[in-house]
Amino acid sequence: MIRFDNVTKVYGNDVLALERVSMEIGQGEFVFLVGASGSGKSTVVRLILKEIEPSAGTVYVNGRRLSAIPRRQIPRHRRSIGCVFQDFKLLPNKTAAENVAYAMEVTGQRRRAIRTKVPQILELVGLANKMDKYPDQLSGGEQQRVSIARAFVSQPPILIADEPTGNLDPETSVGIMQLLHRINRIGTTVLVATHDKEMVDVMRKRVIALEDGRIVRDRVKGAYLDEV
Amino acid sequence: MRFNLGFFLREAFKNMRLNLLMSVTAATTTFMCILVLGIGMLVNAHVSDIIRSIGERVEITAFFPEDATQQEIRQAREEVQSWPEVRESTYVSKEEALQRFQESLPEIAQNLEDNPLPASIEISLHDPADSQAVADRLVESGYFAREDISYPAQTIDRLNTITGYITWALRGATALFLISSVLLISNAIRLSIFARRKEIEIQKLVGASDNFVRMPFVVEGMVQGLIGSAVAALVVVWLNFFFVDWANRNIPFFPISATAVDTVSTMAILIAVGVIIGVAGSYLSVRRFLKV
Ligand SMILES: Nc1ncnc2c1ncn2[C@@H]1O[C@H](COP(=O)(O)OP(=O)(O)O)[C@@H](O)[C@H]1O
Ligand SMILES: [Mg+2]
Repeated sequence: MIRFDNVTKVYGNDVLALERVSMEIGQGEFVFLVGASGSGKSTVVRLILKEIEPSAGTVYVNGRRLSAIPRRQIPRHRRSIGCVFQDFKLLPNKTAAENVAYAMEVTGQRRRAIRTKVPQILELVGLANKMDKYPDQLSGGEQQRVSIARAFVSQPPILIADEPTGNLDPETSVGIMQLLHRINRIGTTVLVATHDKEMVDVMRKRVIALEDGRIVRDRVKGAYLDEV
Repeated sequence: MRFNLGFFLREAFKNMRLNLLMSVTAATTTFMCILVLGIGMLVNAHVSDIIRSIGERVEITAFFPEDATQQEIRQAREEVQSWPEVRESTYVSKEEALQRFQESLPEIAQNLEDNPLPASIEISLHDPADSQAVADRLVESGYFAREDISYPAQTIDRLNTITGYITWALRGATALFLISSVLLISNAIRLSIFARRKEIEIQKLVGASDNFVRMPFVVEGMVQGLIGSAVAALVVVWLNFFFVDWANRNIPFFPISATAVDTVSTMAILIAVGVIIGVAGSYLSVRRFLKV
């Protein structure tokens, strides 16, 4: 599903964000990417989205080498990856329902399909009664649910979340993680970048740990820190 | 991908409502640019119309010799009328000449015993610049002597020089003006897009193609350009009617005509320019923010 082959990323001339990172994430896996702030988690996410190019090494997503995807086809590539961010990245002038619908409009889906699908998915994330609220009328947890609904509405094979609970309190975070877990159980590959220790420890999923841009650990049923 | 016009229109109108101030700014900028451009077109049209009508009044008069026969006069008239430079030629017989003379200077005319005035042919041209050539041809044709042909050579020369200057000045001004309007308008649009660059970034992260992001902006630019230039075109046409009406009442000796400006095509040109500038301005401005 996702494969990094000796990937190095240098920002500018001297900021080494990732150093010879190799990893493989299979279909249907649920993986935590952990590490302190600045360890390179977001860089991994941005490489997968082809927002940036690696300085060396190769990134494969869905069996395709990203460097072989021409600029014109980047939108299609991104549509195969649902994306959730720490700051939600909702369109401020659109309601919850319109934000979710936008992700479907982008793929050119029919209005009728959009009209039936959007309420379903918002109900799934527990926002059936907040569909017509604008982002600034929703709590952080609710906004994150909208953004998960948007990421998932086209049922992409991969869902990536970069610090999805970074702006949320612990109780709300649990709900968001459960949601991601449910999405994973229907077969979606889920990658969550986070430094939320408790969450990682509770879920007992595969954990890949980054430190200063290098992979220092990869455990199948791991915790945030190494169990001694 | 399916081209979703309805979606783009809805998006564009919603964005305009939400960014009303920006939209009004862009439409107002278009309005002012097109207004000045339109006024330039009015000035251009009236100046060339005035020059043309002055040119029409310039006539070549060729006097027939005393001994010209009716036969010669008829042949001369036919020949002159067939020349392509000639717009109109009028024959003035001896009797008509006398009659005109009596009307304009009755005291002197009273003292005339017989009719000393020659018959003549009055020729107006399509282009007064051809006067010299036509005068030469009149001599070559053999019906007239050089000294019997009169035309206001100096007036014509001066008129041609002035026309040349004015035409170039107007063309230069129009070109400068068009360039600065494109800059002004695309700047207004760029500001409004800059305010929304975060949105564009999000749209691209969700997988929107460049064209999908761009389309609502382009529709917006088109609508703003259309509104701004349509209002400007109406004002320009109203200004023209107002000016012609005023001129005819206050400076009737000046040849200002309502037909100098073709209202429909002027409006069409102004609106087309406004729409094109709006579309091009937004298309080019969005491009800078699409590199996500
Ligand atoms: N656009 C950028 N330009 C320069 N340096 C950057 C840029 N983005 C990230 N970095 C640097 O790269 C390193 C890794 O950053 P990032 O991947 O965002 O880490 P994380 O998401 O784990 O906090 C950090 O040292 C950060 O300062
Ligand atoms: Mg980060």
